[in-house]
Amino acid sequence: MITKKSEGPVVERELWVENRLGLHARPAMKITNLALQFEADLTLEKDGLQVNARDLLAILTLDCPQGTRLVLKASGADASEAALAVCQLFARKFGES
Amino acid sequence: MTAENHYLQGIPASPGIVIGRAWVLSDRGEIKGRFHLLFTEEEQAHEVDRFQAAMDQAHEDLTRLRQEIAAEFPEHAHLLELHLFILKDQMLNDETLRLIREEHLNAEWALDQAFEKIKELFRRIGDSYIKGRLADVESVYRRLMGNLTGKESLRSFDSPDPVIIVARDLSPAETTQMTGSTVVGFVTERGGRTSHTAIMAQALEIPAVVGLDNATDEINPGDDIIVDGLLGRVILNPDAEVLEKYRRRQVEFAAFKAEVAQFCTFSAYTLDDHATHILANIELPEEVQLALRSGADGVGLYRTEFLYLRQRHLPTEEELYADYKKVVEAMAPRQVTIRTLDIGGDKFLSTLEYPQEMNPALGLRAIRFCLKEQEIFRIQLKAILRASAYGQVRVMFPLISSIQEIREARRLLQEVQEELKAQGQLFDPRMPVGAMIEVPAAVTLATLLAKEADFFSIGTNDLIQYTLAIDRGNKQVAGLYQPLHPAVLRMIQQVVEAGRSGGIPVAVCGEMAGDPLYLAILLGLGVDELSMNHMAIPMVKKVIRLINYMDAKQMASQAMDMVTVEEINEFAAQEMNRRFPEIFRFGSALAGAF
Repeated sequence: MITKKSEGPVVERELWVENRLGLHARPAMKITNLALQFEADLTLEKDGLQVNARDLLAILTLDCPQGTRLVLKASGADASEAALAVCQLFARKFGES
Repeated sequence: MTAENHYLQGIPASPGIVIGRAWVLSDRGEIKGRFHLLFTEEEQAHEVDRFQAAMDQAHEDLTRLRQEIAAEFPEHAHLLELHLFILKDQMLNDETLRLIREEHLNAEWALDQAFEKIKELFRRIGDSYIKGRLADVESVYRRLMGNLTGKESLRSFDSPDPVIIVARDLSPAETTQMTGSTVVGFVTERGGRTSHTAIMAQALEIPAVVGLDNATDEINPGDDIIVDGLLGRVILNPDAEVLEKYRRRQVEFAAFKAEVAQFCTFSAYTLDDHATHILANIELPEEVQLALRSGADGVGLYRTEFLYLRQRHLPTEEELYADYKKVVEAMAPRQVTIRTLDIGGDKFLSTLEYPQEMNPALGLRAIRFCLKEQEIFRIQLKAILRASAYGQVRVMFPLISSIQEIREARRLLQEVQEELKAQGQLFDPRMPVGAMIEVPAAVTLATLLAKEADFFSIGTNDLIQYTLAIDRGNKQVAGLYQPLHPAVLRMIQQVVEAGRSGGIPVAVCGEMAGDPLYLAILLGLGVDELSMNHMAIPMVKKVIRLINYMDAKQMASQAMDMVTVEEINEFAAQEMNRRFPEIFRFGSALAGAF
């Protein structure tokens, strides 16, 4: 759950949960699915608590209703592409309202 | 061993009668004894293999189930996909393996510990919507545990005898899994008659009783039980006499069902060619498939409260639109009649602040609530209008009691149409607008209302309640709730005549509409459309096709000449029993209970 410190340059991005229902099962599934398409280590951090973006239940337990601020950290070969893709997913509100 | 002939009463969820051995899905208490520590590496390797096998099995089952139900129940397919995700999750999967390897726990114990940790983390979640997903984790946990122990798994039934599942709750996936096995019925403590599980059971034609408190305590594993899905009844350890009675009833019901099923595909014409529209009442989009299968000519009452009560937020226009569109598209080119929100302010405690009412039946509800909370109403009207672009949609307003109310509602509808037009959204500009006739005032004003509405739909449940001043939920007076009361029949007659002279169709959409006992009289009074639960449709079609409209009119006029409800009841029952004894047996239960 709490992931190890990763090596190499780390891309950091600020994310906001904007959809009305927050990070519930559907958005969490979308994040997990997306994270699996990249090699980079991806973590989401809220109030100092860090979880692996490939870990659906861990994302749920971060408890992120609408308006939550998260920090995304990506490290590894395709870190910047991965970070961009995750940012876009959040910006699109996971396809919800 | 429980005493003989012990009767338990629950809620009927899926019709039919089954007799079998109870298979009680226990909670986790029983599993505790199976926990032990591992002492050798071979033991550990063996436990890891067992857990992997349980995972593989679960993965295979879930994948297959998802494929099987994807087309008909996309929402459930989505749930199964979520379960697949959870199955692969590190917190469940990796943690269990770690506990086996590092803490030397056997597979069941390790899985249990991993689940306990997840539960603890979920306990701290503040957002109740996200917190609710723990139910899905639990479902996956139970599936894995079932695969491990090999005893509680629905899949592993090799019993040659029919088995009835008794559980606290069943997921739609578990319900689906019952087909093709020796599972012949189920009983659950949770759920209502329109829960997803009930609908799945109806789709699979497995008799079911839900909402039976303490079922898993009262019923012991191995008990012989009878499940009467028609009356919502479970009988524990029936004696030979009761068993014989229910075996007969079972055969009769099967014959009845097969017999009326032939009438699904026919139109409802009487012998002398009088046509009636037979429509379905629905609440969830999934029910559309069942309605179509039963031969519905359309949806006569689409209840829209579910989305408002299910979640703590008010639904958005998009959410409403998505559901309505699904129903409208699936029914097209058949008609779908959408009833606007029929709910009281007290139901909205989570989002709006309304005080508890002393007398909610006479309070701020239905159209009154909508005209007060116009923003909520406008959002729903928009969603309905947008869905109207995809088929034949009618809208109707519940609990109309004055001309002013329907004018005001229509004015808002007009405004919303202008807005949609400005936004370039598509909708049917001629969507018919109906008034529900549920209040005596509306009956009295029917000829005037007929000038303001494009159709009438008589909601008999409320009309009877308000006319006779009877609360059916109150056991003291429930017996006085009489659909054939002369006052009620006169009201229906008056509405039909007003509709006729105004040139608009009149529907009946209360429980009365699907009950064969009342059918001939309603037909004879001149009702154009009958809307009922989908399970009543085949038998109603059969009755209509085997009677003469002239006879029905004759019956109605005879009933109108009688002065007491007792006389009319006896007359209707006798006529029905004489013409259709087999339908008389099951008809009222099928129509009323669901």
